[in-house]
Amino acid sequence: MEWKDVIPVVAGAVVILVLALVVKPALLGDPDSPGLASPVYVPPTPAPAPTPFPEDGPVYTRNFRWTAIDGGVHTTEVRIPEALFHAHRGTPRFSDYTSWGLYALADADRPILEDLARRIAPPSTNPDEGYLRLMNLVFFVQQIPYDMDDNTTSYIEGTLPRYAMYMKDGVEYPKYPVEMLVDGRGDCEDSAILMAGLFDALGYDTVLLRYSDHMALGIRMKEFNPYYAKYTPRYFMHDGQHYYYIEGTDFEKQYVSPHSIAIQGKPLAIGNAAGAGIPSVQSETPKIVPLRFVPEPGEYHIRPVRLPAEGA
Amino acid sequence: MDPGSPRPFGLKLPGISNLKIPRLSRPAIDRKKALTIAGVAVAVIAVLLVGGFLVTSYLENQQVALFCGHISASEADLFLVHGRISVYMQTPADGLLAAGCDDRMREFAAIARYGRDVTAYHRQIIASDTVPEAYSGAQSAYIRALDRLNHAFSFWSSAATAYDMRDYAAANRNLAEADGAWQEYTAAVAEYDRELRAAEEGAEVPPEQ
Repeated sequence: MEWKDVIPVVAGAVVILVLALVVKPALLGDPDSPGLASPVYVPPTPAPAPTPFPEDGPVYTRNFRWTAIDGGVHTTEVRIPEALFHAHRGTPRFSDYTSWGLYALADADRPILEDLARRIAPPSTNPDEGYLRLMNLVFFVQQIPYDMDDNTTSYIEGTLPRYAMYMKDGVEYPKYPVEMLVDGRGDCEDSAILMAGLFDALGYDTVLLRYSDHMALGIRMKEFNPYYAKYTPRYFMHDGQHYYYIEGTDFEKQYVSPHSIAIQGKPLAIGNAAGAGIPSVQSETPKIVPLRFVPEPGEYHIRPVRLPAEGA
Repeated sequence: MDPGSPRPFGLKLPGISNLKIPRLSRPAIDRKKALTIAGVAVAVIAVLLVGGFLVTSYLENQQVALFCGHISASEADLFLVHGRISVYMQTPADGLLAAGCDDRMREFAAIARYGRDVTAYHRQIIASDTVPEAYSGAQSAYIRALDRLNHAFSFWSSAATAYDMRDYAAANRNLAEADGAWQEYTAAVAEYDRELRAAEEGAEVPPEQ
């Protein structure tokens, strides 16, 4: 055997090595999922803007006569576009009470509620007046006559609304705040929703308090225990905060004299659950319903991992 | 010849005595040539052995490098998802009205969809990787982590759908399920780290705590 016979053998081995080390990887390349594109974030499609209600359209005008915490009698006028009212009447209701807080947050109602809340409880630089402002809002709502959902008198049309929900224990129809204002009547959840809307418009944090046969409001406060209260303020804990009970109904009114239009009554102050006289309020712990459903995952941190050492 | 006779006695083949038996020449192998042949054979075998080892080693390194690149790409995309989640979680929901709450939940659903797509995409790539046997445990653990994360994002999507139907109880149930899947993801990530350490250090994977 001569060297000329060895050369092809060595050349063959080199060719095999080159094929294995260079050509094959180059041909195969990085099999990085051919045909698939890396996912990208697609932002949500914005909801279509609602059609604004005409400012010069017909309105419902309502005058509410109510007694403030200082004993003064006030008349407050509220003007609500008829188109807004009828739009709400034509909106199906949520059967699950846990979403009723959204009624208090209706975007179209908010300007009306902000205006109403500022007139009932004008802004004040005196922090001592904060409680009085809150109480006037509470008293205003408490003095709107109570009427049950299955009474046709609870609706200006004189009939039950199209989307009234027929439950096993009666009719349920949670009203938007402006519906209660136009109807001038409502039941416990309507009062709670209206109060929630008014308080929220002023920046207060509230929740709905759901009992088996009743609904009230809870307002977040710190250590509310006024010296003049002849009751122990009732509160409930939610997310580490104190929410004090507020009754929206049960204002026991009577006329001052048979021929007087002036009324006097016994409003229920913040935290006074004992005066409501409702058995479930006395015996049950309510379910707390935040106005806003905010998804709060307990776990959401993505943990970075160590990469494999290349050339290991 | 007598056809009845079985044996052809007296058969003569003409010219057979003239046949010559070919004479094999004696191979002319001397010691030098023998050593050369042996040397070449040893060299070829050595080249093949070393080449084979190099090729195997190179291919394994290539596999690990590819696996590393895919993990790296996956982590980069997951970092983007995490950024979206962090911004979302840090955005306060106070003061939102009904439409704002709906918008916020749509954002949540979009993040969930994005997370689901990212985890499914990288799961497919990493699952198709061929890795050295030592790394198969790490690969499995990482795929499991992506799977659990994918489930968590799916539960988030379901929560958003339940919210759209105003079924908050179902939304909360799905969020709780997502938390469970997320914890499994965290456990799978820890297992991946253990498996990777074992692959690189050649040690046994310590038992789970």
